[in-house]
Amino acid sequence: MEAMLADTAWAVMLIILPLAGGITCFLWPTLSKTLGLITVAGVALSVAGLGRQMMENGVYRHAVGGWGAPLGIDLFADGLSLLMLIMTALVGLGISFYSRNYFKPQEAIWFWPIWLFLLAALNALFLSADIFNLYVTLELVGLAAVALTALTGHRDALNGAMRYLLAMLLGSLAYLLGVALLYHDSGSVDIVTLAEQVKPNATVWAALALMSAGLALKTALFPLSFWLPPAHASAPAPVSALLSALVVKASFYILLRLWLEIFGFFAEGAATLLGLLGMAAILWGSLQALCQTQVKLLVAYSTVAQIGYLFLAFPLASGSDSMIWGVAVYLAFSHALAKSAMFLAAGNLVRFGGHDRIADLDRVVQRLPLTVSAFALAGVSIMGLPPSGGFVGKWLLLEAAMVQGRWDLAAVMMIGSLLAAGYVFKVLGYAFTEAEVSHNAKTVPASMEWAALLLAIGAILLGFMAPEILSLTRMTVSSGAGGAAP
Amino acid sequence: MSNAFLYALVGVGLFSLGFYALIRHVHLLRKILAINVMGSGVFLVLVALAKRTGSALPDPVPHAMVITGIVVAVSATALALILMLKLFAETGQAALSDRRKE
Amino acid sequence: MEVITWLEWAFDAVLSVGLLWLAWRALASPDLFKAIVLFVSFGLLMALAWVRLDAPDIALAEAAIGAGLTGALLLAALARLRAIAFKDTSVPPPQFSKPQFLHWLLIFFLLWLGAGLGYAIWVLPPYSTGLSVAVAAHLDASGVSNPVTAVLLNFRAYDTMLEMIVLLMALLGIWSLGGFPPHTDMPTGSVLDTFSRLLVPVFILVAAYLLWIGADAPGGAFQAGSVLGAAGVLLLLSGWRPRVSLTQWPLKLALAAGSSAFVIMGLLTILYEGQLLAYPAAQAGMLILFLESLATISIGATLAALFLGRSSDHEENQ
Repeated sequence: MEAMLADTAWAVMLIILPLAGGITCFLWPTLSKTLGLITVAGVALSVAGLGRQMMENGVYRHAVGGWGAPLGIDLFADGLSLLMLIMTALVGLGISFYSRNYFKPQEAIWFWPIWLFLLAALNALFLSADIFNLYVTLELVGLAAVALTALTGHRDALNGAMRYLLAMLLGSLAYLLGVALLYHDSGSVDIVTLAEQVKPNATVWAALALMSAGLALKTALFPLSFWLPPAHASAPAPVSALLSALVVKASFYILLRLWLEIFGFFAEGAATLLGLLGMAAILWGSLQALCQTQVKLLVAYSTVAQIGYLFLAFPLASGSDSMIWGVAVYLAFSHALAKSAMFLAAGNLVRFGGHDRIADLDRVVQRLPLTVSAFALAGVSIMGLPPSGGFVGKWLLLEAAMVQGRWDLAAVMMIGSLLAAGYVFKVLGYAFTEAEVSHNAKTVPASMEWAALLLAIGAILLGFMAPEILSLTRMTVSSGAGGAAP
Repeated sequence: MSNAFLYALVGVGLFSLGFYALIRHVHLLRKILAINVMGSGVFLVLVALAKRTGSALPDPVPHAMVITGIVVAVSATALALILMLKLFAETGQAALSDRRKE
Repeated sequence: MEVITWLEWAFDAVLSVGLLWLAWRALASPDLFKAIVLFVSFGLLMALAWVRLDAPDIALAEAAIGAGLTGALLLAALARLRAIAFKDTSVPPPQFSKPQFLHWLLIFFLLWLGAGLGYAIWVLPPYSTGLSVAVAAHLDASGVSNPVTAVLLNFRAYDTMLEMIVLLMALLGIWSLGGFPPHTDMPTGSVLDTFSRLLVPVFILVAAYLLWIGADAPGGAFQAGSVLGAAGVLLLLSGWRPRVSLTQWPLKLALAAGSSAFVIMGLLTILYEGQLLAYPAAQAGMLILFLESLATISIGATLAALFLGRSSDHEENQ
């Protein structure tokens, strides 16, 4: 039994299982909900299995088809990928639990198979070591995300989804052109091979620009974030949570991986630019969030701001601090938990009052105490207050900035936290006051309240587990890209 | 020296042309056409440069990638078209509305 | 010899200019119908370019999918747009909404982008073997002798597995939005109708041939599937509707066959070979043909189903 558990190809299961689940949901739509929950639980167990395996054997590598890179495609997992997989599984569990009671039956038969394909694509993306394979997973993630956004068929959702789709396709094409240039320059699409062979020349610089721009568009880095608020605010609540928590992290992860392995060694100027855009994103996104009158739009703009923090890692890492990538992934993880909790809480507010106007929240704290607690706890992490995950992540980032004498970055981070406090308390304040017009309220299923609260608690707990998680991210950065176990 | 570089440069031209049309046009059907032209440009770069093997046989890997890419492109186009139709049925215009009506 | 080289260069130059010109015309045409027709012609020229680049596999796929099916989809969408608008069919010329200086900024940016990318390509070494040597070295072990098929279904079969999911996923997305409304305004029994019914068996034969030959020569699942899909679209456009019973389980099985085959193959290879999609060398050829056959059915069914509206089984479950 012990040996069987150790030998199982858990990483492959992470991809195959949700694919099989999705196809089965397509064939038997009436079973979707049950099958979906079972599959997501199975994926969570597989992540645990993979984690255990990696604790014993170190980095994971699997040659698909037995060919091995560069001819074949390799699956690859180090601490950073493992952390992203854990993030996907945890947020996925929370959102699935929530979605059980959220969707009407005629929406559920579409939601579950598409969500399972999205889950498979995300896992495949975090496990891929091949830049063309990453393109395919990226497209699968994008199309699934767009389909989920448009699920309700409302006017705003359709408009948001259409804009989203065009931005996704443009981003993918820029990325693919970059892949084409890199392949024809170095004769490989395998990241490890590329890392060995790429020398900075005009072709590589063009590839870097195209891939970074395409991925920045997909990650909604300011000013390429124009598509995010309409899509994230108009999608059904669990879908908004998926988009903000997981989907934008997918393209960010690819960018991070490319810089860590290939581009980071020569592209300091470009890293500075990414850092500047990150700073602008924090200020602009936070100010926009502060100005919103609707909860979901506010939370969506907050995502634009929080993505900015992730991009501060690029200039800091080129200042020879390789630990910073681990911090960025940790911050992405804590944002995923907090932001999914916030969107689910916002979904509860909409379900409860039929709207999400902040000014008319009408003492919602007395009627949905769990939901408001979830929003508040998630807010603690977004603001970066101790003892949350957001606090630890931002503190480490701040520390790195100060050690390197980057006071500009440090200042923007502090201002961002103050503004975040502003927009979180804007929502919480109205949750305590009485609205002028009271409205008829619907009941919110307990599972939906608890799902939001548990994710928010996770965002706080992450702060306590910071040492373990950060040591996990060190699993490979020190051993280098080539130090892979067979 | 083969025709590889000529077609690769045409690919770049198509990419830029499609980019221009994607940004400039308001009608969604035109935006979808523009995306497809951009895609063709990228595919052309991938395959044209695969001819640089110095032998009669080109590198088959980019060919396989482009076949994958064509299928992805038609899937995305179909999804985009249905979104456009739904949007048109809801709003009466086959264009994106700039701001959400509050 | 000299003359032939010159002729080839001249042909390539004309084709290049033609591609850019047609793309420009298609994107700038004030009439949407004309724009689509120009776009389809652009696709056909692209197929020619693929032939010139020694990429017959892509030429087949481009002609069937890039030009044929995409064109049919675009025309179907345009027909629906006009049916919903139901007043004038003259579409207003492209509106330009941005201020003038932004326009020039965009043009400047794109010229700069084009020049930069052109330079990035120009400085590439004139010769590079890429992965072709590795592919050639392992071709014997792949089970097929067409290198493109070997890459698609063996060396990089994992990409193809995900691609089958992309197709199914796109169809799910489209059905979740209600699918393309069926065309009821087509007269049946017309010339097109008889013509397409005669053609369908031919299409099926061509598809089977392409599938079979794909192991050794240009062709394979994608080309065969798109021909099959084209046959389905032709039938649907000529007014044929499958029986309701056919659009339930048989249709759904056909749609899921390719992706299921890959997933099951993935599980079996993990169990018996310990590696995802690693075929036992002796059976590789047979397994590839099996995967390709089911993929062909799914690709054909999916492409045709885009025009069908959603499965009636899914309607009933609502």
